[in-house]
Amino acid sequence: MRYGTTIKVPFGPQHPALKEPECFLFEVEGDFVVNVKPRIGYVHRGIEKAFENNTYMHDLYLAERICGICSHAHTVAFTQTVEGLVSLEIPQRAQYIRLIMAELERLHSHSLWVGIAAHEAGFDTMFMYLWRDREMIMDLMEEISGNRVLHAINTIGGVRRDINDEQANKIRKYLDKFEENIKNYIKVLETENTFLKRTVGVGILKPSDAIALCAVGPTLRASGIKNDVRKDDPYLLYDEIPFEVITHDGCDVFARTIVRCEEMLESIKIIRYALDHMPKGELKVKAPRTFPPNESIGRVEAPRGELIHYTKSNGTSKPERYKVRSPTLGNLASVCKTLIGAHIADIPMILAGIDPCFSCMDRILIKKRS
Amino acid sequence: MEDLIKKIEPFGVLEFKRPKERRIFIRIKSEFLRDLISFLIGEYDLRHLSTITGIDLGEEIELLYHFSYKHSIEITIGIKIPKSSLKVPTITDLIPGAIFYEKEVHDMLGVVFEGHPDLSPLILPENWPEGVHPLRKDYSIEKLKELIKK
Amino acid sequence: MFETIFEIISLIGFIVFIILIAFFYEWIDRKFYARIQNRYGPLYTGPSGILQPIADFIKLLLKEDIIPEASEKRIFSLIPIIYVLLPILALLIIPINGKGIISFEGDLIFLMFLSAMITLSVFLAGWSSACNFSRIGGVRAALQMLSYEIPFGLSLIGPAIVANSLCITKISEWQIANSTAFIFLQPIGFAVIMISLLAELELIPFDVPEAETEIVAGWTTEYGGGRYALIRLGKDLELVMASMLISSLYLGGIGQIFFIPPIVIAIIKSIIVLLVMSLIRALFARYRIDQVISGMWKYLFPLMILQIIIVQFIG
Repeated sequence: MRYGTTIKVPFGPQHPALKEPECFLFEVEGDFVVNVKPRIGYVHRGIEKAFENNTYMHDLYLAERICGICSHAHTVAFTQTVEGLVSLEIPQRAQYIRLIMAELERLHSHSLWVGIAAHEAGFDTMFMYLWRDREMIMDLMEEISGNRVLHAINTIGGVRRDINDEQANKIRKYLDKFEENIKNYIKVLETENTFLKRTVGVGILKPSDAIALCAVGPTLRASGIKNDVRKDDPYLLYDEIPFEVITHDGCDVFARTIVRCEEMLESIKIIRYALDHMPKGELKVKAPRTFPPNESIGRVEAPRGELIHYTKSNGTSKPERYKVRSPTLGNLASVCKTLIGAHIADIPMILAGIDPCFSCMDRILIKKRS
Repeated sequence: MEDLIKKIEPFGVLEFKRPKERRIFIRIKSEFLRDLISFLIGEYDLRHLSTITGIDLGEEIELLYHFSYKHSIEITIGIKIPKSSLKVPTITDLIPGAIFYEKEVHDMLGVVFEGHPDLSPLILPENWPEGVHPLRKDYSIEKLKELIKK
Repeated sequence: MFETIFEIISLIGFIVFIILIAFFYEWIDRKFYARIQNRYGPLYTGPSGILQPIADFIKLLLKEDIIPEASEKRIFSLIPIIYVLLPILALLIIPINGKGIISFEGDLIFLMFLSAMITLSVFLAGWSSACNFSRIGGVRAALQMLSYEIPFGLSLIGPAIVANSLCITKISEWQIANSTAFIFLQPIGFAVIMISLLAELELIPFDVPEAETEIVAGWTTEYGGGRYALIRLGKDLELVMASMLISSLYLGGIGQIFFIPPIVIAIIKSIIVLLVMSLIRALFARYRIDQVISGMWKYLFPLMILQIIIVQFIG
């Protein structure tokens, strides 16, 4: 239905559908969105500028705090980048421990997201069940690293804590229960008619658009394109571990949900393999304090997609430039494309579909203090 | 990718580094940027742009375009533009996904991308003073705090 | 004269009793919903949290009550009172104690009128608050009513045709006299009335007017303090009204079984209806407004016409 005139509707900065503040200016005609213009930067904290003022060792902890949910992914990327400046090889056991924590974080982030998607659709029971199971993963992370998020288990040159056999057995036990529950939830989500009506056909992103707009992560994989940094550009020891890259041809929010659920099952397999094959050895090697002039890129598959860090060193202990591009910014162009032509009522669902983590997305600029 | 260094010779290459198997750094003269990118899209179907980094080098600003070949090899193309004439042609017609990365660099460093459909501020708030680009080296954190207090 | 005073006192007593039942039903609903979700639900106030709704009511009365500057102040303040009075009026007709306190031929139509008034007051509440979210919520409530109104009315008429009366009390007595329940005679009608009342009460899957994740709190956004307490009380009273209505029209009427007084039978039957509604609330996701409208017109309306045809020619 065309009405001829468009109304401008602002979505945000505060809105109950968005867990973090961002402003999207929608132009609406009748019940359909015609245009969207994002204005981000509400959680901007000046991190990239702060990186240049601190030493690399300090920056490790700053990098962790870019985001609460994908904190470990940021430190893995940071250490990969900085260790790449001097081509530092870290011990195998350290790589396995980093890998296990990264996959545990993927589990907790995906189960958080599927719960939020269910909550946006009004399916509160699934939300409660998923977050109850997510508590198991948080308990595991607290057992290994001492904290539920912001684990601080990485250091330049290796890891700071070990996983002993007792913890490994606890991980295996919890993962068995978690896996059984997730398989149940996948069955429910695939057959629950009310949920399907809210997510199937909503927020369609054609594969050609996904490639042209440089989408990343599960959003890209839900459009049928098989790309995953863990398989294409292997880091840590992902090239030694057999696992599948999950894709789905639906291109809609439902496909993204299913991709994330099945990625959780794959992560469980990866953790089990890593626990079984972890060799004994050192936890870290000595890292230099100052780095010779060089540049380096680190790429990591964070739960939300491809995370890329770039650094340029100048011979001192502080970086000359440090750049972080988090996956949510990469998906911003694609989500603006999918929003055009959508019902107003679907906007929260679509925005939630890319798993937005706005604190990852805005980093630069000093935060306003009024 | 093996013969890449030979194929890009006619594009004003200043430097070619391959420190690791999947990391390539190419630095070229700024006028060849669009030609090289069009060539790479045509020859290698290089469509995924990871991000665009801007570095303030004092007299010049260096722009790095991080591309990803088949999501596996990371190819970085770098150009330098003098601060006296901070203009670069946009690549959004070749790579539509570059739209927000160019906006971010414009906000932070003041680089003007000619031909960009909409260079309105993405991250900076509405009442931010004109011409102040926070990531430049002239602005230290203390100076920016002073500006905000005003 | 003493009779008048006695009647007024018993009326007030009845209203207090209904309000206490409403609180009790809210507790049952919250506890059941929470237990399905593996949560505790109300726990601390009174044994197993049974006093929680009363505690919430008293707390809300003590909170600040703001009227938005740009709102229609008189309508805004009046709506909560109307919202509470309408279900109480409806409960006067429904035979809670075997016989409605006020019962007359045609009170079924009066009930339909009251339910339409309830939705109209929801719409006015959303409209009079000067807030985008409230306006959208009110409009959605009105749209929803347009879809379920006709099937709802027809599902009330179904039993009336067979019992040959437009008085709820008489329909309930007919079921007791014939030892049958309309749920067996008119199962389609039962399904339709359950679904329409879910839509009227704005429960999931039809809680579009109050969709928390999309429009904050829908039409109740701008209400706070005492007015919000009255709105919540109104919702609980609607719950009582809906469950009592279904049990008297379809679940075999409300009458004395052996030595159990009718009021207890009424409470038992309506609690069963309440539990079914809570179960549905926990199991499903929320429909979009256009899906609600199209679904109701495509499915509910033809099914109800079919039911009426069956009743006319067979029943």
